[in-house]
Amino acid sequence: MRFYRTTLLILAACLAVSACKKKEEAAPPPAPAVEVSTAPAVETPPAAVPFHVLAVDLGKGLGADKKVTDPTTTFGPKDTIYASVASEGTASGVTLRAKWTYGDAGTVVHDENLSISPTGPANTEFQISKPTPWPAGKYKVEISADGATVASKDFEIQK
Amino acid sequence: MASNDEKPDFSDVEGGASSTAPLAEPAAQTYTVVSGDSLSKIAKKHYGDANKWRRIFEANRDLIKDPDEIYPGQTLKIPSE
Repeated sequence: MRFYRTTLLILAACLAVSACKKKEEAAPPPAPAVEVSTAPAVETPPAAVPFHVLAVDLGKGLGADKKVTDPTTTFGPKDTIYASVASEGTASGVTLRAKWTYGDAGTVVHDENLSISPTGPANTEFQISKPTPWPAGKYKVEISADGATVASKDFEIQK
Repeated sequence: MASNDEKPDFSDVEGGASSTAPLAEPAAQTYTVVSGDSLSKIAKKHYGDANKWRRIFEANRDLIKDPDEIYPGQTLKIPSE
């Protein structure tokens, strides 16, 4: 009987020690410290895009959005010729110039300036017309912005 | 024999410009003389009155010595009315 009690006590002690060990093993590792920024999020405004010309289109008609409605590079002797300059970007002031010339000698047909203050995408149109018929031949319109040529388009007037 | 086609007259060409962008403060307007132009024609184009040619002449005294002698390619200042 005494032997039996002693065995029970030893067994109980072993179980207790084992349980404690398991508990220690089961303890989860401490969570890593997470750094939380307290600085407020600052929204960076989008950088202003500098003004630049995207494209120049020629046509016989013009829409309310200043884009050509009948794009072509061949015109008749009584047509009005429109050049639409698509641009994007901002500028406090930029002078667009359309210089229309005729023939290989570059005879000046018309020269027009327009100063604009674009705040984003824009269309600027230049146009020329002539009460008397246009001489047939090859023409060119050269577009410049603040004196720097940015595009040119050749076109033809046929009889 | 020279043909008249070699020197076409573009003095009656009418031009214009407009934009979807806001217009900037108007800079001093200029005009490039084309073949067939005279100060009267330029005044008629810009002011609607050929008799105002003297206004252009006075603004360009540094370029124009004789009001009857202007040349294609000259860039003239066009004073506002």
